[in-house]
Amino acid sequence: MSPELVRGIFDVLSLSSILILLVIGMAIIVGMMKVFNMCQGELVLLGAVTGFLCSTYLGNLWIGILLAPIVVGIFGLFLERTIIHRFYINPQGALLATFAIGLVMRESLRNRMSTQSSPVDAPIKELVTIGGANLPIWRIVIIITTIILALSIGYVLLKTNLGVKVRATLDNPDLVSVSGISTKWMYAGTYAFGSALSGFAGAMIVPLQTLYPNLGYDNLILMFIAVMIGGLGQFVGPLAGAALIAIPGAVIGQFISPVTGQILVLVFAIIFMRFRPGGIFQGRR
Amino acid sequence: MNIFKEGRSRRKTALASAVAAVLVLAACSSGTDSAAPAADAGPVKVGVLTDMTGAFGIVGKSNEAVAKFTINEINENGGVLGRQLEMVLADSATDAAIATQVASRLVNQDKVAVVVGGVASFTRVAVRDVIAEKGNTLYIWPASYEGGECSANVWNTGSAPNQQVDPTVEYLLAQGKKTFFLAGSDYLYPRNILARVRQVVEAGGGSIVGEEYVPLDMTDPSNLVSKVLAANADVLFEVVVLPGTAPFIKGVVDGGYKGKIAGTLFDEGINPLIGAQAEGLIGMQDFYLSVTDPFTQSQVAKFNEQHPEAAGLFSATFNAPAWYRSIYLWKAAVEKANSFDTAAVNEAMDSISLEQSIGGAVSFEPGTKHLNLQMYLGESKADGSNVVLKSLGSIKPLECQS
Repeated sequence: MSPELVRGIFDVLSLSSILILLVIGMAIIVGMMKVFNMCQGELVLLGAVTGFLCSTYLGNLWIGILLAPIVVGIFGLFLERTIIHRFYINPQGALLATFAIGLVMRESLRNRMSTQSSPVDAPIKELVTIGGANLPIWRIVIIITTIILALSIGYVLLKTNLGVKVRATLDNPDLVSVSGISTKWMYAGTYAFGSALSGFAGAMIVPLQTLYPNLGYDNLILMFIAVMIGGLGQFVGPLAGAALIAIPGAVIGQFISPVTGQILVLVFAIIFMRFRPGGIFQGRR
Repeated sequence: MNIFKEGRSRRKTALASAVAAVLVLAACSSGTDSAAPAADAGPVKVGVLTDMTGAFGIVGKSNEAVAKFTINEINENGGVLGRQLEMVLADSATDAAIATQVASRLVNQDKVAVVVGGVASFTRVAVRDVIAEKGNTLYIWPASYEGGECSANVWNTGSAPNQQVDPTVEYLLAQGKKTFFLAGSDYLYPRNILARVRQVVEAGGGSIVGEEYVPLDMTDPSNLVSKVLAANADVLFEVVVLPGTAPFIKGVVDGGYKGKIAGTLFDEGINPLIGAQAEGLIGMQDFYLSVTDPFTQSQVAKFNEQHPEAAGLFSATFNAPAWYRSIYLWKAAVEKANSFDTAAVNEAMDSISLEQSIGGAVSFEPGTKHLNLQMYLGESKADGSNVVLKSLGSIKPLECQS
């Protein structure tokens, strides 16, 4: 294989795994809980900030990657118990409230930063040469991590007792609550878990993109499209949606200009939504 | 201006704008009583319009500090025509709609004598008619930009495309580099700059082996990196704006690219963000921290001392030297006209020059509304600092020639 071809295949894998990693947390909060969480990007950002701080002050991004889901998870729990839970009956209100939370987080960071973006070194900076192409090992780590994470969360949600309880709560809270399960803490816990996953994603990708206030927000539109294509009310759909927009984007980006490629992907998303408004797996629930 | 994404902030923050617009309106209505026109002996108001919030908030921080610094310095030395200057700060919030509102407030309520400002070109386009045409007030645009701004009552004090591009390309051609790959973000500034690069390369006997643009909101330019590596040109001339710059250049360098990388946006403000891969980047600016001119050195030291909150934000890509000279150019024109009247000052501006300024002497090239600027060819070190490879002297702007 020529180095160009190796790079091409690698780009497709790398770009789609990054989008899937970003979407995992959102698949839980927007996909399953159906909360239109406009601050999802800022949860990613908070994870990236945690990573940045650990990398700058402790000299070790690994600690940041471990801490980010904890910090952002606790923050998500706090957010759910103080604000988000008030809006379950009012989705439009949730849209505005979460947008406002995101705005405050984004601008607070901007106010604190003294540069427009801060570089963060990857914990593994080495490159590996495969078929004549130099590939960054950190991107390979992200590809593998994404696959493991998606499979294990899917397993927990679909095959374990806890997963059944979570899905039941989100499907029919009244029935679940008369069965003796605390739906209040189920909701809070699920939101916190979705937040933690976004925080983890933020710490993982910050070395690839540098830390800047719009880090999460810039990806928000694509993340939402992935969830919409995947369909609400489930976990797997949004991940498939992410793959479905990232892979053609990355493939056609190699042959034509990335600008046209991005437009084509959005056109594709619109046509897709026209014919399958319920998402990839519509009607299967 | 140029270093950041322009299009997306408008598209994606529509909702933010709506919210912010309400806040601005509220602020406007509460600020009306302070808008009495200045008496002849009172201070003269200078409108300082920049993005204190939103995507370019950091640039605004620098601009505000430089404006304060310059106005204080003028006031300490007796003001302009014996009158003190009063700075009126307006936050354009990285949003064209808000920029229009605050510009209108500066002109109609605060009755400023001049407005200096704007970070991105979309702000300039949004405010210039409000200020210069309808408001009949002088507007100074202090940014290196894509060129072509020739409106009445508007004066450009940053570099034009030819001033940055021509000497850079000529230097690279003289080094024996023949093939060029052009890469940029997809909006007006990179497209205009790269069109100029193409023109100069082809005129000088070089060839363009590829030209590619990435969307402004593409956070991961991996595809572009692969194309650059496949083309393997002698020179990569790039205008990929933040935050794409660092991932793009890191990707290209780590991918094993052996050629030279040149661009219009490399300086002490940007290079440290790229990391060690910044080593060897070629840029062209009207100022670097390493410019040895004693006036420049002492002024920047003074600035850092007086404005510790903005120390490290005095850089060419933040338009810092352009803001400084803008206010002094206006002062010189007012003194020459012996009046604050817009028409008189506007007429005087055409032939104004400054013997010393941060970055070196400047003068308006008559009839072009742009400056003859001292330009410097810089090369980045791994720590992000720049060495001046060559001081090119004063370069003429090729703009607004009818």
